[in-house]
Amino acid sequence: MRFLAEILGNLGIGAQQALALALLLPFFPLLLLIRRRIRETGRPPLRAISGYAALQEYLGQSAESGQAAHVSMGTGGIGTTVTAESLAGLTVLQHVAEYSEATGLKTIATVSDPSLFPAALDVMRQAYEARGYALAFDPTSVRFISPNRAAYAAGVMDILAHAGVGCSLMVGNFGDEFLLMAEVGGRNEVRQVGGTTSALILPFVYASVDETLLGEEIFAAGAYLRQRASHLASLAAQDWLRTGIILAIVVGAVLRSLV
Amino acid sequence: MRMIFRPFAVGMRRSLPMAIAIAMGALILLDFFFDEPRINALGRFFVESTVIVAGFALLLGIVNVLVVHIRRIIQREDGWLYSIALVATAVIVLVAGIPGPDSAVVGWIFDHVQFPLQAATFSLLAFFVATAAYRGLRLRSLESVAFVLAAVLVLLGQVPASRYLTDLIPAAKDWILNVPSTAGVRGIIIGVALGTVATGIRVLLGFDRPYSGGGEADQ
Repeated sequence: MRFLAEILGNLGIGAQQALALALLLPFFPLLLLIRRRIRETGRPPLRAISGYAALQEYLGQSAESGQAAHVSMGTGGIGTTVTAESLAGLTVLQHVAEYSEATGLKTIATVSDPSLFPAALDVMRQAYEARGYALAFDPTSVRFISPNRAAYAAGVMDILAHAGVGCSLMVGNFGDEFLLMAEVGGRNEVRQVGGTTSALILPFVYASVDETLLGEEIFAAGAYLRQRASHLASLAAQDWLRTGIILAIVVGAVLRSLV
Repeated sequence: MRMIFRPFAVGMRRSLPMAIAIAMGALILLDFFFDEPRINALGRFFVESTVIVAGFALLLGIVNVLVVHIRRIIQREDGWLYSIALVATAVIVLVAGIPGPDSAVVGWIFDHVQFPLQAATFSLLAFFVATAAYRGLRLRSLESVAFVLAAVLVLLGQVPASRYLTDLIPAAKDWILNVPSTAGVRGIIIGVALGTVATGIRVLLGFDRPYSGGGEADQ
């Protein structure tokens, strides 16, 4: 261990970096190996997540009733500490965009952080261009509201109350403003699916929406909605690493008690 | 000529953004792990440059806001009067901000309009928490039974008078907060950390391409 610490020290890698490396290094080969296996043997079984089943159902109901679907990717952006959550919301938007193009469902996607706006616009446009319906794409279906959370919440509240929205999918990084939006949605009988990683906000989400995606479940959007091999593989890799972490905690606790 | 260049252009359109994203991601990762001055300087330069990109994205966003609301005004859609107020306010603040963001007028607008409105919006939370609790504390599943039970015990335990009923209630409150609640939160944090790492690695390997509206083909 001392030898390893010396080598890492000579390379300029501190304790924090070493821990990050210990988490990152196994992930790469695991992801690649499992992805290859999935492409060869097919999709593995996934446990049911009611949030994703409900998401699909609500989209269908909105399409049938001629109502719109609202998608919020949270108040985070790309290049911030909550980039992963924003990308999860973007994955949900991609699924909704392709569903909208196929069914004619009107979609209103709202963004708070400006860095997410071009990405969201591109996702929506690509869904129409891929099927050859570029002219059918409405650029105002993606709306930048405001980087200010209160203003963003006010903008979304207006959309949920007055834009004929049938379902609202809010997946990403949120703060207290989630409750404001979800409550207005609830009062207007909008079917809602909410998901975030913040443990402080999750109780608000659970209490105010119809179906909840708890914590890391939002990162499984690509696997459940898009059936992508890389997303399925990363879910499996996460499970393996989680098992390893649990074993390390248990072994560490036992060793600590014995010493 | 077009037949030669078109596939090349399409290929470049797909692979160039991916190559840039992977290269930048690898550089920032190296910057984090190694204490090498040249890599650190390059990493710092690109991280600081994102501010410029974000500025242009904000400009795009402002144009979008104006387009949405001007269209609503022209087509007399529902709420078009509010759109007039929004566009007028945007123009006023834009003109007021020309001398700079620290100007007296902009300061006055933020102190007397923005912040009070913000406070008023968030003050609704107090009432919305109550209505959300009323709707959320319905017994619709086993999870919600546990949710309601825990909420009732913790609420009772927080009230000083509960100690006069029985010592078990404050003890139950402490146990709920220190054991299952903390364990759940830590489990969520571990899961979120792994999910975040997985998302980053997928982008680094080019499997997810949020910058070009696409990604790996679906199964």
